[in-house]
Amino acid sequence: MTETLLFYGFGLLSILGALGLILFKHPMNGAMSFVITLISLACLYALLSAKLIFAIQLIVYAGAIMSLILFIIMFLNIGESDLPEERGRWFYLAGGIVAIGPIAILMQRAFKTLPPGETAIVGDGFGGVQEVGMVLFTDWLLPFEIVSILLLVALVGAVVLAGKREVSE
Amino acid sequence: MIHNYLTLSVILFCLGILGVISRRNVFIVFMAIELMLNAANLGFVTLSRLHLSMDGHVLALMVMAVAAAEAALALAVVILLHKHKGKLDTDVFNLLKG
Amino acid sequence: MEQSTPYLGFIPLLPLAGALVLGLMHIATCQGKRIPDKLYGILGCIGPFIALILAVKVFFELKALDEGKRVLLQRVYNWIEVGDLKISMGFLADPLSSLMLLFVTFVGFLIHLYSIGYMAGDKNFGKFFAYLNLFLASMLLLVLGDGPVVMFVGWEGVGLCSYLLISFYSEDPANVVAGNKAFIVNRIGDLGFVLGISFLFWGIGADGFDYISLEASATNLNPTLGLTVCLLLFVGATGKSAQIPLYVWLPDAMAGPTPVSALIHAATMVTAGVYMIARFSFLYVQVPLAGEIIAWVGILTALLAAIFGMYQRDIKKILAYSTVSQLGYMFAAVGLTAYSAGIFHVFTHAFFKALLFLGAGSVIHALHHEQDIWKMGGLKKKLPVTYWTMLFGALALAGCPLFSGFFSKDEILYSALAHGHGAIWFIGLIVAGITAYYTFRMFFVVFHGKPADQSLYDKAHESPPVMTVPLVILAVGAVFAGFLNLPHLFGGHLMVSHWLSPSLVEHHPDPTLALELLAVGGSIVAFVIGVSIAYRKFGTKAQEPVYRGFHKFAENKFMVDELFGALIVTPYRYLSQGISRIIEPWVTDGPLKSMALLYRLSGLAFKVFQVGLVRVYAIYMVLGLSIMSFLLIKTLNL
Repeated sequence: MTETLLFYGFGLLSILGALGLILFKHPMNGAMSFVITLISLACLYALLSAKLIFAIQLIVYAGAIMSLILFIIMFLNIGESDLPEERGRWFYLAGGIVAIGPIAILMQRAFKTLPPGETAIVGDGFGGVQEVGMVLFTDWLLPFEIVSILLLVALVGAVVLAGKREVSE
Repeated sequence: MIHNYLTLSVILFCLGILGVISRRNVFIVFMAIELMLNAANLGFVTLSRLHLSMDGHVLALMVMAVAAAEAALALAVVILLHKHKGKLDTDVFNLLKG
Repeated sequence: MEQSTPYLGFIPLLPLAGALVLGLMHIATCQGKRIPDKLYGILGCIGPFIALILAVKVFFELKALDEGKRVLLQRVYNWIEVGDLKISMGFLADPLSSLMLLFVTFVGFLIHLYSIGYMAGDKNFGKFFAYLNLFLASMLLLVLGDGPVVMFVGWEGVGLCSYLLISFYSEDPANVVAGNKAFIVNRIGDLGFVLGISFLFWGIGADGFDYISLEASATNLNPTLGLTVCLLLFVGATGKSAQIPLYVWLPDAMAGPTPVSALIHAATMVTAGVYMIARFSFLYVQVPLAGEIIAWVGILTALLAAIFGMYQRDIKKILAYSTVSQLGYMFAAVGLTAYSAGIFHVFTHAFFKALLFLGAGSVIHALHHEQDIWKMGGLKKKLPVTYWTMLFGALALAGCPLFSGFFSKDEILYSALAHGHGAIWFIGLIVAGITAYYTFRMFFVVFHGKPADQSLYDKAHESPPVMTVPLVILAVGAVFAGFLNLPHLFGGHLMVSHWLSPSLVEHHPDPTLALELLAVGGSIVAFVIGVSIAYRKFGTKAQEPVYRGFHKFAENKFMVDELFGALIVTPYRYLSQGISRIIEPWVTDGPLKSMALLYRLSGLAFKVFQVGLVRVYAIYMVLGLSIMSFLLIKTLNL
């Protein structure tokens, strides 16, 4: 019963946060409401007994990535004048809702075919560091290594793009 | 109960799409994409719980890693954009106009 | 009956290899340092010389065989193989081709030798020898080929080489035009030849397409097809051998260097047509009508060319028209199925015409490329060797008794009489008289009388030995070649005719003393009259005559070139212009252009969607996803 209540509470929070993200004019406000979404999602992971993902969601997403974004937003010191004019926003929004209708319905119908399942908290032996690590470093070793290379490439790319150019002339 | 989680995932994903197509602010567009990734992650974790297997968690980890890489590059591009054009508007880039 | 002879293929191959080597050497050095002319000359002469030795070997090997079995064959490889049809790259030496082989290599070699002197100092010395070798190789291939297809390769080869050599001095556009003319006119003839052998193949090609198989199945050919084939092949021959109406290229071919003219006129190229008809004698004997047409075309060509020859002022053009005229004789002979007489005339003609051309070349060389006979005169003292050798050549050409030309020409005229064609004999006799006249007109004007241009005369000098030695050798040939086929009347045994008889299908009419005497007497009278008129007019004092009326018309060659220009070239040019102006832009290019326009318009239409904004592309993507989802929901009934 508590779990159901918690799910509805965090679910509502995450939707509100997402709505805030796409509706707030200033990116600072959007980012703050997105943080709410991310934290609620972390809590939902915890409700799904994904202990490791819960922790990583908080640390990497809510912690690292979002603080990076917030840092950049503040670093650029965005004022009202920097913001783009977004006149047709509501029109696009309405059109978008119509367009994504079938997509949402398709996904919803597809998920309906799944068997119903319990979400009661599973204790030991699921979602911990040990269990995820066992799978990650055996069955998923190659994708893991490829992801590590991807991160390295992204790092180099970011340095090249954003780094100060030596004026050659 | 599982279906509620999945419905939430679908709602968040659609909100992400709406964010991408209706906003012009690069930061918002970028975060809307992150939102879509998170919605997918929620789906992975839910299905992993349903089948009591760890593969969904691992996939969620991978998605996060990709998101981190993407964040690094995307923010670099945003800085460049701001530096050259002084704007945060995605519509500034229209070199591909036919 | 078939003897395999491994060295037969080397006869055309050696000059061909020479052409390749010389050509590569020339290309490699045309920018940088020159290779000495001597090296080119030696390399250029080696191929023809070895080919000559091999030709002699072939001759003696054939002679050693029994008379009826004189055939040497070499099949090198299967060239074309389609189903049952096999056409081999094969070579065949029988009495006919071996005789051709002998004088082609002999005269060809002498001309190579002579060219070393004549072309000395030319900047394209190497190129010249490469072409010359290629020319000889093509002619040898034509002569030695064991079937019409191999012959055709050589046939085209000589056409190509004549083009290359006639326009050799390509700095002057006129020479290039002359080369083009030769090539295009030859192409018309080649079309006839190709059609001819195609029809022949269609008719009787099923049992093998070489001369031996064709001869065996020649009787199966139906008469209409036979006539068609014979006439088409003759069209080919008129192109190569310069008969009416395709003779126009030959006088213009004088634009090339003189040794080339000698080679074209004496040993190679123009004799190809006569050789081809003799080769196909097994066809022509079956179609007497074709033979008669050929004979009349030949004798009329002889008459026309002789008339033109009387009025020319360019020493080489006089000789060119004499060649056309002599070829007319040869065609008259082969048309009357007197193949051996025709080939014998080819044989003797090769000697005296090569001699006359090389002699003329010597004169031109001495006078620093002056070709107008009215600017020469009195050269007897300055060029004694040339004078005497030219005299022998002129006597042979004019048909002086006991010289080679007399016997072969007499043989032709006699066979015209013997086959009952009195008219052809009479025209032939007139032509003989005219020939004697214009030959000695040229001879007297050039060598006798007073020098017309003193400064040219003073600078004249006798040619080096490398040029005069071939002249002397050819002069000996011109004098004595005729005795090889001495008729019975003079106590001879017609050796050449006997030698050729296994390869030719011809009817020898029974010799009658009266006819033979009539023929010989007529020839002698014609010669005497021709020479005496020439002597009276030009013997002592040569004055350039002024031509009027008919003479003027004849000097302009009856306006035949202009006639061709007006009737064929100009309409053709207009037709081409019309095609390029109307058909090309509207009929062929039109659909393509409209198609391109269609793509351009559709591009314009699709351009509207390419707004260049990332967000809009995302919208497109979402729209696509949306439609796909909708369809999936519909079809899967989810």
